[in-house]
Amino acid sequence: MNDIRIPGFKRRKKATIVVDETPKPSQKMVDVLIVGAGFAGLGTAIRLRQAGVHNVVILERGTEVGGTWRDNQYPGAACDIVSNLYSYSFAQNPDWSRSFSGSGEILGYIRQLVKRFDLERLIRFGQNVTGMVFDEPAGIWNVNTADGQTHRARAVVMCQGPLSNSSWPKIPGLETYRGHKIHSARWDHGYDFRGKKVAVVGTGASSIQIVPELVKQAAQVKVFQRTPGWVMPRPDYVSPEWSKKLFARVPAAQSAFRELLFWVHESMALGVVWTTPMTSVMERLMRMYLRSEVKDPWLRRQLTPDFRLGCKRILISNDWYKSLQAPNCELVTWPIAGMSPKGIRTVEGIEHQFDCIVFATGFDVSKAGSPFPVTGLGGRNLDSDWARGAQAYKSVNVSGYPNVFLTFGPNSGPGHNSALVYMEAQIGYIVRGVGKLLGEDLAVLDVKPEVQKAHNDEIQKRLRRTNWNSGCKSWYLTEDGFNSTMYPGLATQYRSQMARFDGKAYRTVPMTVREPV
Amino acid sequence: MQLELDKMLAKIKDSQWALADIDWDAPGRELVTENKELYPKLKAFMADLMWIEHVGARGFAAMAKKAPTEDLREIYRYFHAEEQKHANAEMALMKRWGMLDDADTLPEPNINIRLVVEWLDTYADDMPLSVLGSVIPMLEITLDGALCKFLLDTVDDPVCHAAFEKINADEARHLGVDFHVLEMLGHGPLYRQTLEFVAKLLDPRLMIGIASYLPLLNKMRDNLVELGLKEEKLYTAVQKYERIGGTPGGRRNPWFRLISRQGRWVIDRANRAYHVPVDALVKLTAKIPPRALPPVPTWVKQLTWKPAA
Ligand SMILES: Cc1cc2nc3c(=O)[nH]c(=O)nc-3n(C[C@H](O)[C@H](O)[C@H](O)COP(=O)(O)OP(=O)(O)OC[C@H]3O[C@@H](n4cnc5c(N)ncnc54)[C@H](O)[C@@H]3O)c2cc1C
Ligand SMILES: [Fe+2]
Ligand SMILES: [Fe+2]
Repeated sequence: MNDIRIPGFKRRKKATIVVDETPKPSQKMVDVLIVGAGFAGLGTAIRLRQAGVHNVVILERGTEVGGTWRDNQYPGAACDIVSNLYSYSFAQNPDWSRSFSGSGEILGYIRQLVKRFDLERLIRFGQNVTGMVFDEPAGIWNVNTADGQTHRARAVVMCQGPLSNSSWPKIPGLETYRGHKIHSARWDHGYDFRGKKVAVVGTGASSIQIVPELVKQAAQVKVFQRTPGWVMPRPDYVSPEWSKKLFARVPAAQSAFRELLFWVHESMALGVVWTTPMTSVMERLMRMYLRSEVKDPWLRRQLTPDFRLGCKRILISNDWYKSLQAPNCELVTWPIAGMSPKGIRTVEGIEHQFDCIVFATGFDVSKAGSPFPVTGLGGRNLDSDWARGAQAYKSVNVSGYPNVFLTFGPNSGPGHNSALVYMEAQIGYIVRGVGKLLGEDLAVLDVKPEVQKAHNDEIQKRLRRTNWNSGCKSWYLTEDGFNSTMYPGLATQYRSQMARFDGKAYRTVPMTVREPV
Repeated sequence: MQLELDKMLAKIKDSQWALADIDWDAPGRELVTENKELYPKLKAFMADLMWIEHVGARGFAAMAKKAPTEDLREIYRYFHAEEQKHANAEMALMKRWGMLDDADTLPEPNINIRLVVEWLDTYADDMPLSVLGSVIPMLEITLDGALCKFLLDTVDDPVCHAAFEKINADEARHLGVDFHVLEMLGHGPLYRQTLEFVAKLLDPRLMIGIASYLPLLNKMRDNLVELGLKEEKLYTAVQKYERIGGTPGGRRNPWFRLISRQGRWVIDRANRAYHVPVDALVKLTAKIPPRALPPVPTWVKQLTWKPAA
């Protein structure tokens, strides 16, 4: 029995892959094809159907829904935005057990969505999308999957997730290590940490959740840090029974609470997105927190960030600093020189030997280039169009790629608020776009290049004033420092930008020859 | 001396070595342990050397927080660790030669080292890059450079040579970057540099630093002479600092000029105006009871001779 599994979460029996049992070269055509069954893909399907679009299919490469929350089940995994806001406003859950719910509970919520909105039959599991090509005369996307199928759709919504491909760090000799290796986004629940010497590489959002749990189990934990982040304590509480009852009985009360949380986060943008007096106040508070938690000046120095707040994601934790000071834990800040069969060699010349190394090193984020080959008008491909940084119109449409919609597209990332707030705004916009495409029976709905360019010029101009572009290195930026991930503003601004679908921004071509369906 | 820092960083990353690369039990230790005359002096010398590396490491740690570019910051992070590696390797040699009193205690630092450690711990992070970036090359070229060469001339143990081949290769890169930065520091309006220089010189925190640094140098010189190092060798090293650092940019840097001047004083024993007070400081500091100093900072405790942890 291993006790690191998140309580209340039962893993489904291994892989009952529901592969479409009737493979055929030309699949039935659908109105909307969605790639990915994470929060975004499922949310899009729900809203489309509520808007009357029923001919929808979701292709998911995995064997179950949930995306991020299916993959990230490491000990301690939880959201760092209060669950009431890290959930859909159109599907609120009165039962969140605590302020920041664990991964298992969030996955349970996602599964609940599938049940409640009857999505299961739309999903084709085991379908890894490998590319898609636009058939311009027909106004149809041909979407290919790894098993050789081609799906046909009037519109495609790409919901493959911003953080769905876990990445190993580029450490020389990584492959020579003989001990056990675990990636945070593919946890090995069978491994027993008791009595083991363990390394955790990385000190980002996942690591600060994993380390406090590992310290409780392993004999020794060494944490390898490159750059320290800003850490904020979180108001962690177990939801009182009365609030669950209240929210169940009076949904408006939960909406009001959600609204309050939204505005608390919005106000943080003033410190996080831009450098303002509030940034300094917040930095001062976090330094005071560090000081109160860490008495040793050298350790404190090692944990003090040398970039402005907001330049990278703020880390939220109550027990990170404490666990680093546990008797069986050590923070290693020497640069990593390479890996050897027995462990990690750092530049101070010492080989740190381990039974197991946990990589909490994050994800391959595609900031330049497309996640899979996408061929648009006149054979152009998204990969080269985005080679020097991804660009889109309002983060959802890309000129030259008609009838394609993105969630978490370029410059849609929140630095200070729930990803789902942004996602809902995108989904709303996509539903209106799809509505126009189908309602007016268009073959082509393509954002005008000059409109997209003007939008991006404005975004980049506004980005220049934000903390992300203030000279620090982070995964938000490409190698050349181009920011194609973050939205430079308040969630409120983003929402209002997405509230209207401006038909005039798009070039449209009506469908003339109707394909037989 | 112009240098492309990104290429240098790549080279540094490619040139990593570990204590485990050296066989610390290979034959040859008796070349040191059975040399009765050399042994006690070498023991004191190695302890000094290892502490100087460690102090240098802390200096680079401070610089890593000040460097103007990401590449240079990263280079200093590496140099910080590499100096630590040198200290660790030198401790491993001491271990090999039976110079560590017991496996888990560090060699006793002399009082002047202790004072410098104390000063670094308290003030190094407050010093501007111009001060640190001008002092470090001097330390590297005289102490690191001259000492290591001297050691190899004196000690025949092949393991010592194997270790210092690696250490010296690192040092060559350190010096390259040190003098590149020294040159860089000289850019910018002269009046501003001079003003900042004067303002900083009057900073009591720096004065304390100077007051702990000067006796350390004199003490080191004495220890070296004791061990048989020719003073001319030190003199050559100081001249090298002046020569390599004396680029147009370097000469505009008032810190460079102060430090080269002071370097000459250190090696010129006839300069009584300098040596009488500094030697007095050495004597005076020798009277400070170790108990009067606060406990060593925790960064010191990371030193180890053990290749694997
Ligand atoms: C550990 C962790 C914690 C997080 N915590 C928070 C938080 O607290 N608050 C917050 O706002 N955000 C958080 N995020 C961000 C999080 O990614 C988003 O909030 C959200 O879950 C993204 O949902 P998604 O549907 O867009 O992507 P995902 O959940 O990644 O889903 C994408 C799905 O697409 C599938 N897919 C990918 N490529 C293909 C393909 N080629 N073919 C077929 N299917 C494909 C994947 O298998 C996956 O199921 C966190 C992220 C991580 C990794
Ligand atoms: Fe050195
Ligand atoms: Fe050096």
